[in-house]
This record gives sequence, structure tokens and C-alpha cells, in this order.
Amino acid sequence: MIAWAPFTEPLVLSFYHELWFLLPLCAAVGIVYKAVRLPRLDHLVREVIFLMLYMLAGLSGLAVVLWLIYEYWP
Amino acid sequence: MAKQNQISPVAPVIALVLAYLVPGAGHIYLGRMKRGLILGITIGALFWSGVAVGGVMTVDPERERWWFAAEMLTGIHGIVGWYRQQDYNSRALRRAEEKGLGPASPQGQAYMDAQLKKDRVALVAPADTVARAYAGVAGLLNLMCLFDALMLGLMGQFGEPPPKLDPAPRTKGRTP
Repeated sequence: MIAWAPFTEPLVLSFYHELWFLLPLCAAVGIVYKAVRLPRLDHLVREVIFLMLYMLAGLSGLAVVLWLIYEYWP
Repeated sequence: MAKQNQISPVAPVIALVLAYLVPGAGHIYLGRMKRGLILGITIGALFWSGVAVGGVMTVDPERERWWFAAEMLTGIHGIVGWYRQQDYNSRALRRAEEKGLGPASPQGQAYMDAQLKKDRVALVAPADTVARAYAGVAGLLNLMCLFDALMLGLMGQFGEPPPKLDPAPRTKGRTP
């Protein structure tokens, strides 16, 4: 991490921190989707935040379902 | 304000090519400057964030063909990322050949893998997942923009859509 050279060497990550990288990814998907779909850009920020929350809620729900299947499926 | 049927018939093709080469440029060409800038900055930032996390081997046509195909959809970003990867690979190949190892031989492959680790550019989990997801999703998002620019061009829509018409102003008292 200390000697990390961005754009050349990969960042040393732990699996525990990997999920935090979902936040910028969801934000980028939300921004591009809403910038393409909205007829007016006046409420872009609000719409992006709502879409991000939807995506995160959906992914969390999916994670819970998959975890339950993994843990309790006979 | 959107104007219909006033642009050249080749405009959809130009918009498509521009949108591929530089994300957001298709929208800017179609008169949607603000949207084009938002799309270009977001897609570029997402792609280069992926490369920043994953390093020079993020765009790798040999090891990750499907991710590579998605990354190439980012146009100039993907091409620059590919060039950097090929540049590193050709230098590693030269070193292998100087040692008398053919790149196709098992010894040559092992040497190349060892070089990746020695140069600290080998992309391993979980950074590879994050890096390729960022760069690949950037390409897929640009695919959506490509379709949008093409459709807007085909429909002859130039500029931002017109604002919603306000309802008729209420007048107090009697109306004539």
C-alpha cells in the first residue's frame, strides 16, 4: 500500500474492503443511466441518489437471500 | 430546444462514431453539451479508477477476453489502456527472448509470469475483480450511450428536449 504506484501496480486490497468499492460503481451507473434517461437534468442529483439507494438495497437483499441459501440449504 | 428533422442524414453515424471514440462526444455533437460532459467525465473517471486500482494489466486481452471486450467499448480510454498493457508485454517479451526463451514455450510462459510478479504488476484477487468491474462497466455504460446517441440521431433530435409547458397562468377576478 505504501509503495503503491497507481495506474501501474495493483492496489493491495483485503476482501473485507472490497465491498466498499461498490459505492462509486453504483454512483457511476446511476449518473450515466439518469443522464441518458431524464428529459431534464434539473433534478439529476436527487434522482441519482434515489437510484443508488435502490441499487444498494437490491444488492443487499440479494446478498441476504444468497447467504440464507448458502447457510441453510440442505 | 429540440429541433426535429433538421440535421444531416449522416448525423446518426457521426454521433455513433464520436460516442464510441470519446464517451459523451456523441451527445455533445447532438447539442446536448451538459449531458455529454457528464457522461464523458463519469465514464472516463470510472475506467481510469479501475486502471488505478488494477494497474497496467487491467486491460488484458489474453487472460480476460470478455472483460477486454467490455473495456474496449470505452473507446480512446480502452485503447490507451490496451497500448500500455501491450507496451509492458513487449518489454517483458524482449527480456524473455534475450534469455533464449520463446514466449509460447512453457519455460517462456513461466518466465513471463515470474516477470509480472517481480515487476509487481501481476493482478490478483480481489483487486482484479474491482479493477475489471470498474473498467468493464465503464465500457458497458458507454454502450448504452452509443445506443442513445444513435437513436437520438436517427430520430433527428438535436439539442435538449423542450421544457415542459407551464399551465395557463391563473387570473384573478373576471376573465374577459
